[in-house]
Order: sequence, then C-alpha cells, then structure tokens
Amino acid sequence: MATGSMDDLADRFAGRAVRSAFIYTREAHPGENYRHHRSMDDKRRNARAYLEHSKVRRQILLDDFEGTAHRAYGVLPNMTWIIGRGGMIHYKSAWTSAADVADALENVLDFQVNRAKKQWVAFYSERSAWSTRDMAQFKAGLERAGPQAVADYQRMLETNKAARAAPTEDIGPRIPGNFYKTEGESGQR
Amino acid sequence: MSHSEYNYSEFVVSKEEFADFAVHAPKVTMRAPSFPLEDLATGETVQMSELWASGVAVVEFGSFT
Repeated sequence: MATGSMDDLADRFAGRAVRSAFIYTREAHPGENYRHHRSMDDKRRNARAYLEHSKVRRQILLDDFEGTAHRAYGVLPNMTWIIGRGGMIHYKSAWTSAADVADALENVLDFQVNRAKKQWVAFYSERSAWSTRDMAQFKAGLERAGPQAVADYQRMLETNKAARAAPTEDIGPRIPGNFYKTEGESGQR
Repeated sequence: MSHSEYNYSEFVVSKEEFADFAVHAPKVTMRAPSFPLEDLATGETVQMSELWASGVAVVEFGSFT
C-alpha cells in the first residue's frame, strides 16, 4: 500500500475540508508473524503494529470482527472511496493510487464548490486507473508477515501464470481488476 | 460469509471478487453505507458517516499485510 503518499495526500487536502481515514480490515496476506484475526484484540494488535511500522498519520478505524463495512464496500484488500458531503459516492477504486485519488478529488471538490453556481449535476461514469508497483516493497511486506504469506502468494502466481500474462504491450500486465480479454479468450473471432 | 471465512488463514485469490466489486458493490452516485467503526487511538465508536458529515471523505481500506 502507498501509505506515505496517501498520508501526504491527506495533509495536502486537509485544509479544503477533506477528511481522510484508513479502515483496517482482515489481513490480506496472513503469515506466522502477523496472523489472521481470531479476535478483535488480534485486529487491534496488528493495526497498532501497522501504525508503528508505517507511521500512518491518518485516523485508523477498525472494522468489526466480521468485516461488516469491508464486505459492504466490496471486500477488496486495498480499495479507496471518495464520499461527498451528504454521503454520495464520487469515486470507487479497486486499488489505491494516490495520484488517481488526487485527480478524482480535485474533480469532486470542484463539483462541490461549483454545483450550485453553475447548475452542475452529477452522473455515473467509469474509467480505468493505473499505478506503479513496487514489487520489492511488496515482497518485503510478505516476508514481514511470515513464510506462509510468501508461500501462499507464490502458489497463487504459479496457479495464475497464464491468466496474468500480458496479451499486448498496450494492455500491460493483467492484475486482478483488469477484466480485459482478447478475442480468443472471450470466444469472439 | 462466516467470520472464519472472512478472516481466512491462508491467502487464496478469489477470481470473482474483483468482478463482484465492479458489479455488486455500491456504485458511484449511490449513497454510501455507514457502519460503526472503532477508533484505534481512543477505542471509541465512530459512525462511518461522520467522516463525510461536514465535507468530503477519502476512505482507504487495508491491512498491515
């Protein structure tokens, strides 16, 4: 997760009535050192370890043991949402990219400020997003979690090797949340 | 989903979860659901809707691992 850059984003936008929070969920890659939660105390312990390690400056809020909020919002391991005053969802992202969030946030703030004056109306839209992936940092995170986390992830890579291969340079590596299929894969010829 | 299914002990990719997110999770322009959350720093219960009560909220979900 891009903790530092999301904290920087929070600091940058705090003066514009933007509140940022980190909701702590189940462990995405449990291992021997940071296990899956068997109680709320486990969750609190891991969340405090995360706070201490990553120096998160945003408010950390714990979801309940059953993951009620996490499941209602889609249960993905690192999604980000932007919600406007009044509760309207303005942005929904499967992964977290601080740059993409910042771009969307500027649009949301523009809308919030100008909607009454310019008679703007909000409507549904979709777009793709992308971010760089620091695999060294990710692998270090797995190792920190424990050997099981490393092994589980490696097993997933080997199982899904063919499905993750990039069909063309234009599409790039396929990760979960990239639904692109070639004509052959989709049965269209 | 039981709490033991939710708090899995071994990471296994669900092929459907990202498609489910796109199709079944709340959509842009819908009203955001709100749930009680625990503030790690104080232990107090915070209603999620407090985050956007007076402005825009950026909410990231995640964990240490």
